[in-house]
Amino acid sequence: MADDVQLIEAFDSRVKRRAERRDFFKTALGGAAAVAGASGFFYTNAALAQTAPSDSDVLNFALNLEYLEAQFYSYAANGVGLPANLLDGQGNQGTVTPGQKVAFTDPLVSAYAQEIAKDEIAHVAFLRTALGAAKVSMPSIDVGGTNPNGAFSKAAQAAGLVPAGTAFNPYASDENFLLGAFIFEDVGVTAYKGASPLISNKTFLEAAAGLLAVEAYHASLVRTVLYAKGVATPSLRTSADAISNARDSLDGTTATQVPEDAITGKSSDDDQGISPVTAGSFGTGSNIAPLNANGLAYSRTTGQVLNIVYLTKAAVTMGGFFPAGVNGAIKTSANNA
Amino acid sequence: MIDNDTALAVLEAAEHRRAERRRFLTMATSGAAAIGGLALLSACDDDNKNNPTPTPTPAPTATPTPTAITDPDILNFALNLEYLEAQFYSYAVSGAGLPSNLLTGQQTQGTVTGGRQVTFTDPVVRDYAREIAADEVAHVAFLRSALGSGAVSMPSINIDGGASGAFTAAARAAGIVGASGTFDPYASDENFLLGAFIFEDVGVTAYKGAAPLLSSKTYLEAAAGILAAEAYHAGLVRTVLYRKGIATPALQLIETTVKISDLRDTLDGAPADDAVRGIGADDDQGINSPDGGVTSNIVPTNSNGLAYSRTPGQVLNIAYGTKSAVVGGLFFPNGVNGFIRTSTAQA
Repeated sequence: MADDVQLIEAFDSRVKRRAERRDFFKTALGGAAAVAGASGFFYTNAALAQTAPSDSDVLNFALNLEYLEAQFYSYAANGVGLPANLLDGQGNQGTVTPGQKVAFTDPLVSAYAQEIAKDEIAHVAFLRTALGAAKVSMPSIDVGGTNPNGAFSKAAQAAGLVPAGTAFNPYASDENFLLGAFIFEDVGVTAYKGASPLISNKTFLEAAAGLLAVEAYHASLVRTVLYAKGVATPSLRTSADAISNARDSLDGTTATQVPEDAITGKSSDDDQGISPVTAGSFGTGSNIAPLNANGLAYSRTTGQVLNIVYLTKAAVTMGGFFPAGVNGAIKTSANNA
Repeated sequence: MIDNDTALAVLEAAEHRRAERRRFLTMATSGAAAIGGLALLSACDDDNKNNPTPTPTPAPTATPTPTAITDPDILNFALNLEYLEAQFYSYAVSGAGLPSNLLTGQQTQGTVTGGRQVTFTDPVVRDYAREIAADEVAHVAFLRSALGSGAVSMPSINIDGGASGAFTAAARAAGIVGASGTFDPYASDENFLLGAFIFEDVGVTAYKGAAPLLSSKTYLEAAAGILAAEAYHAGLVRTVLYRKGIATPALQLIETTVKISDLRDTLDGAPADDAVRGIGADDDQGINSPDGGVTSNIVPTNSNGLAYSRTPGQVLNIAYGTKSAVVGGLFFPNGVNGFIRTSTAQA
């Protein structure tokens, strides 16, 4: 594990600065959301939504994550964000703190970036179509790479990739891009997996299983490339390990916060780096697939996912990569403080 | 595309030899299957089940699955696939198969034909192989544990790399080797990766297609975990093959994945497209770049960015190497064990 205390302090310093603003927004938006939703079927009472989200709530939650991933990869691969016709919808449409096109040196990494960008944009378009008029708009997203107080920088500082107060730019090199991608991809897998039993419509369940699989392919691609490049550049493996530890410290660290369940794949230690580990009875192997003792990928609750993208252990409604929070009924991170 | 007729002729030649034996086994075992595991899973069937669940798969199929398919049927179907994968990787990594305590269960326990240790030259590929082997063994153990006394035993499995082995039959059908050529997935790092490629994407589509058939939310979430694991594996194998294929074009690795993908696509028929559920007539993709290398194709997806689904019958078309509705062939000479064991009759 990384130094949890230091890590949390790094995140919490930002969180505290937002506390008052957040309380205001909570009050102001909590009422507004319910009113706006009167015309649509997907907004329900916020408290109720936390316990029994509708399929639309769940898909809209996923859409927020896809907006984030699509913006990141779109900037990295193409130098531009999502087109305007893929941004509108319910809730407050936000703006993007933009990224930039990566000057890739390895043509394979460039090809991978193009492919993942294409897939993530397709996911945004697909979920928007599936949700129809109920779709949420893109919330404000921070995928900038130059601000030392930006989300990527804070995440990298917390993981120890860069010193405090220093920017981490995921667009600066092939390696930084891969580490930036690593921050997101496994989280997408655990998010879709955790959401799978919440979806009641079988058609959307099968569609979501397709999204889950694609995120796992992406995550595997990123992890495999980092592992292979890690032979020549060992810091790539240790950096990925450090990011994993940072995620693990945010999303709950005790059995009280995350009850262990090896069948559904829930655990307080639900994240893994890529450095070699013991492979059953077969000696030492790679760790491309982060799995539990049963060979299952992990699940995260929506609240745990928000802990990571908001970069906080606290129960809040915004922060990190979503400076004004995600849109939709599911928007509060879990309380793991 | 390869020549479909040739591919099918090659595979069906082996098929005819097994016809009578197979017919006997079908009749002898089809009734016994569903009895074992019901109690365990029904305990997990909490109140989530009041969704009017079993959305039938729209398989245009003659598969005789007379009564409703239960969760244990589906998990046992998956267990057969995990037996196959686990034996392949276990032999490749260690030269030995699954331990005997992971082979017992309902119906006739079979034997393994072939399999041997790969002498890896690239230590990174060896690392990958060890990891996947451990994961697949864990899947076997997990599903057996979940199914309890209802778990099916390991059926007979052919993972032989010799001239009469299943891998060679598949490789001939795909046009990877000539009509009298041999494909040995244990002969080199590259052949091992191609052998793995034959299985991994199929596992993803199998679990995805089965997801809406599961009624227990607990097992749905567990199955989603295995789905993800298979996708991680498939992504790993495709990524490594792509890199090695670009680095050494003479190995024809990228072209070979296209041939394997085309064979799978031929065998599993042409179901009507459903871009929301991820069902498609063309539901398989090699790793060849769609645009000359600007974009890779590590992830096989449809236009919505979704991975594909296959019905159990389609999965068996590939595992048995046939377009016909049969019980047994290719990697499972006597068919899989359990209630779901007949491939789909494809046009």
